[in-house]
Amino acid sequence: MTPELDPVIHAQARLRVVVTLNTLPEGDRIAFPGLKDLLGMTAGNLSVHLSKLEEAGYVEIVKTHRGRTPVTYVALTRRGRVAFEDYTAAIRGLLDAAVTPQPGDT
Amino acid sequence: MDEDERALSPEETLRLIEQQGAAAVHRLMPNPVPHYLAWGVAWFVGFGVLFLHHGLAGTPYAPIPIGVALALLFGLMALAMLVSALTMWQLGSPVRGVSQERGVMYGFAWSFGFFAMWMIAVRFGGHLPDPERNLLWASLSMMVVAILYMAGGAIWLIRPMFVFGAGLAVLNAVGTAAGPGWHALLMSVGAGGGSVAAGLVLRRRLRR
Repeated sequence: MTPELDPVIHAQARLRVVVTLNTLPEGDRIAFPGLKDLLGMTAGNLSVHLSKLEEAGYVEIVKTHRGRTPVTYVALTRRGRVAFEDYTAAIRGLLDAAVTPQPGDT
Repeated sequence: MDEDERALSPEETLRLIEQQGAAAVHRLMPNPVPHYLAWGVAWFVGFGVLFLHHGLAGTPYAPIPIGVALALLFGLMALAMLVSALTMWQLGSPVRGVSQERGVMYGFAWSFGFFAMWMIAVRFGGHLPDPERNLLWASLSMMVVAILYMAGGAIWLIRPMFVFGAGLAVLNAVGTAAGPGWHALLMSVGAGGGSVAAGLVLRRRLRR
């Protein structure tokens, strides 16, 4: 029914990930545990969704070290931001089409 | 896969986007309320005491030694600065990157601004009679604060913050022209009261 919606984003869990990452200003990244807590997902579940988003080029995952502890940071790529904007626009388009009465429909 | 793979209607999707976005902003953005309240109390009490010391016509309303009044004002301002620094640095925040860098630079701007102001006041204050010297300290420090609020508004595109800074700059100028008593009164009520009010309004807004 909704063929034009980006299938990578159009899954509830991944949409929530993308929305959350999109609130960060460009140039900011969030630590994996912080993102996990914010979304209330399990680490395994979040990892699976993140790798799907990474495959699509929508998120960037950087593994680094703070002292001796490894830390993983996640950020939305520019491509991911654009994809989310397009997705939101498409959703709004669907809503408008549903709300606007058809011509001659009065 | 799991139940959240179920297709959502456009309405549900849009609601999800809005709710999740609001929740993320709420969790990730620093809470500015303690900052506004701390500065508000510092100015209201500090300048209030200074006002009682000076009086509007040059006769004190209460026998408060100037040393006590100034120590109270600058002590409370130092405490407020600590609260702001903790707000800016976002200890424990999982977010790293440009906004953290921006906050650190902005924090340093406060330190360097106050350091320069302190040096100027020490150097020139010695040549002034007592009430004028107090006014020099008070007006210079409020000038630094006003400029940094305006800068903060410009950096983070927070219009109320810029407007508050601009208002402070004007009140500071008017008060300085009118004399030490008036300056202390305007700062206590305008800057202090204004900051407390801003903090309370923000708290109400953020709780919703």
